[in-house]
Amino acid sequence: MVFCTGCSCLCPDIRIENGRVYNACRKGSSIFNEKKRAKPTVNGKETDIETAIERAAEILSSGNVAIYGLDTIPIEAQKLAIGLAEELEAYIDDNSSFCLGDFVEMILRGEIPSTTLDDVKNNAYVIFYWGTDPYNSLSRHLSLYTYYPRGGKRQRGYEEDRFLVVADIRKSHTAKLAKKNARFIRVDDDLKLVESFIQAMEGKAPQYPDVARVLSEMKKGYSVIFGGLGLKYGLNGRYEEFTEMFRRLNEITEVYFIPSGFHSNMRGFNELLFEKTGYINRYSFKEGVSKAEFEFSRLLIEEKIDSALIIGSDPVNSLPFEVSRKLGEINTVVVDPLNSLTSMIADVVIPSALTPIGQGGTMMRSDGVRVKVEPLREEEWTDVKVLTSLKEMV
Amino acid sequence: MPITPMEVYKLLPKTNCRKCGETTCMSFAFKLINREKTLEECTPLFEDTKYSSQLKDLQNLLEPLKEATETGLIVDEDLCSGCANCVVVCPVHASDDPYGMGSGLGPTIDDPILRIEDGVVRVVNMKKCRRYGKNRILCVACRENCPSDAIRFLEG
Ligand code: SF4
Ligand code: SF4
Ligand code: SF4
Ligand code: SF4
Repeated sequence: MVFCTGCSCLCPDIRIENGRVYNACRKGSSIFNEKKRAKPTVNGKETDIETAIERAAEILSSGNVAIYGLDTIPIEAQKLAIGLAEELEAYIDDNSSFCLGDFVEMILRGEIPSTTLDDVKNNAYVIFYWGTDPYNSLSRHLSLYTYYPRGGKRQRGYEEDRFLVVADIRKSHTAKLAKKNARFIRVDDDLKLVESFIQAMEGKAPQYPDVARVLSEMKKGYSVIFGGLGLKYGLNGRYEEFTEMFRRLNEITEVYFIPSGFHSNMRGFNELLFEKTGYINRYSFKEGVSKAEFEFSRLLIEEKIDSALIIGSDPVNSLPFEVSRKLGEINTVVVDPLNSLTSMIADVVIPSALTPIGQGGTMMRSDGVRVKVEPLREEEWTDVKVLTSLKEMV
Repeated sequence: MPITPMEVYKLLPKTNCRKCGETTCMSFAFKLINREKTLEECTPLFEDTKYSSQLKDLQNLLEPLKEATETGLIVDEDLCSGCANCVVVCPVHASDDPYGMGSGLGPTIDDPILRIEDGVVRVVNMKKCRRYGKNRILCVACRENCPSDAIRFLEG
């Protein structure tokens, strides 16, 4: 049995037998397909990994450096990357600044109460997805952790023991599941939905009328809200009322929040950097502070860096073209188990092992629970070994 | 699209000749859809050439029965994301494997009805499905909880 590192669910029950992958969802089973393994290259020419690491160390030893990606590698490797950034006085950033980092930060600062997915399975009655479609991004979220499984105090199955709420701008796949004992709320303004809860608590008619029913279900006990990108963009940085809503809800009942939808170990990186610096992302070790302008894409656009070390991420695929074009103009080192668009434009490519196939390590689930991932087999060039060698050479 | 007994009936000889062992063509139509009878048992259809175009239409109409399992459950793998909702909601799974599938995990028994293989759902052991056999009931739990309509039943 191995963990799947396809998303932040980190499903623990994957079996691989005779080349078949059991229990992983479609997205998860694809990571066990190793057809796109990268080769070490320098300036597009294949070489041995030691030469690639040497050249990478040269590139990173001068000028302004940014280290970016990091959301799919184990905590042990993330720690080394943070250490390397410190030594180089570099910038360090991950995907969380345009993903759900804000929510992780609110939890770490104690601004909203959170819980674990195991607790949700055993106790939660209202399961509320807000601005997220887990069917597509975290396929097994509902079946393994939230709505469908039986556990602890919830033994009678979803129809009696859970109440599902889905709030989204459109009727998503997940929203289709909101049938009996459930509510789908079509939201055009997330802040208005936040206000609706406050109105309902004050005994006024909420702007979204369904909120009255949802609130009365929430009063029956343990509820959890899973927030995704839709909620983040909808709130657009206006978090005060959102945290206020949680404070007031928890005066009358028990309501928790778990961010839902990101890379396998994004939260691990956010927590590590937070422990070390008090910030979760876009940090400069030179200036000792985190700023919006230290976001990786802005560093590129504003031409603040001479070289970048990109680990376990494919920014050319995810960032806008104007941004990734800039990446082609600076010196780029990619550490990745698989070929990607970014490795095609990189000056140096260092192939590393794939978690959980050739390397293990600690990963952090979306709820902050650490899991110890055992590898299927041991490969030599793990992320930890690549980063240790780099650190020794720069 | 589920096949209805009426559609099938319309294409049968409608003579109630009982050669198939049923008292009426209508009851033969029902049993065809439930796969308790096969089209070949209505011998007049094959013997009398005046039914040949009806026969062709019937064969086309009943084509999906071939890909369906004995309970009429059809899975479209292309639509499936492997979310396992169907695996976990199945009441048979919940009672036979409470700490595996009933708790959201992969099966810990050897003969689940459905399981996820290479990222999509596969029918493994239809005999356990509540829609199977003499005392069957019209369970629809797996289909009702599939967000992408990857599961269908022939009888609707
Ligand atoms: S839900 Fe995520 S962790 Fe679980 S099998 Fe799918 S991709 Fe892997
Ligand atoms: S053998 Fe054919 S025609 Fe005769 S009763 Fe059966 S279905 Fe009808
Ligand atoms: S029809 Fe019912 S018993 Fe059969 S597989 Fe689906 S959920 Fe299980
Ligand atoms: S519920 Fe539908 S999409 Fe999910 S695993 Fe079953 S058939 Fe596939």
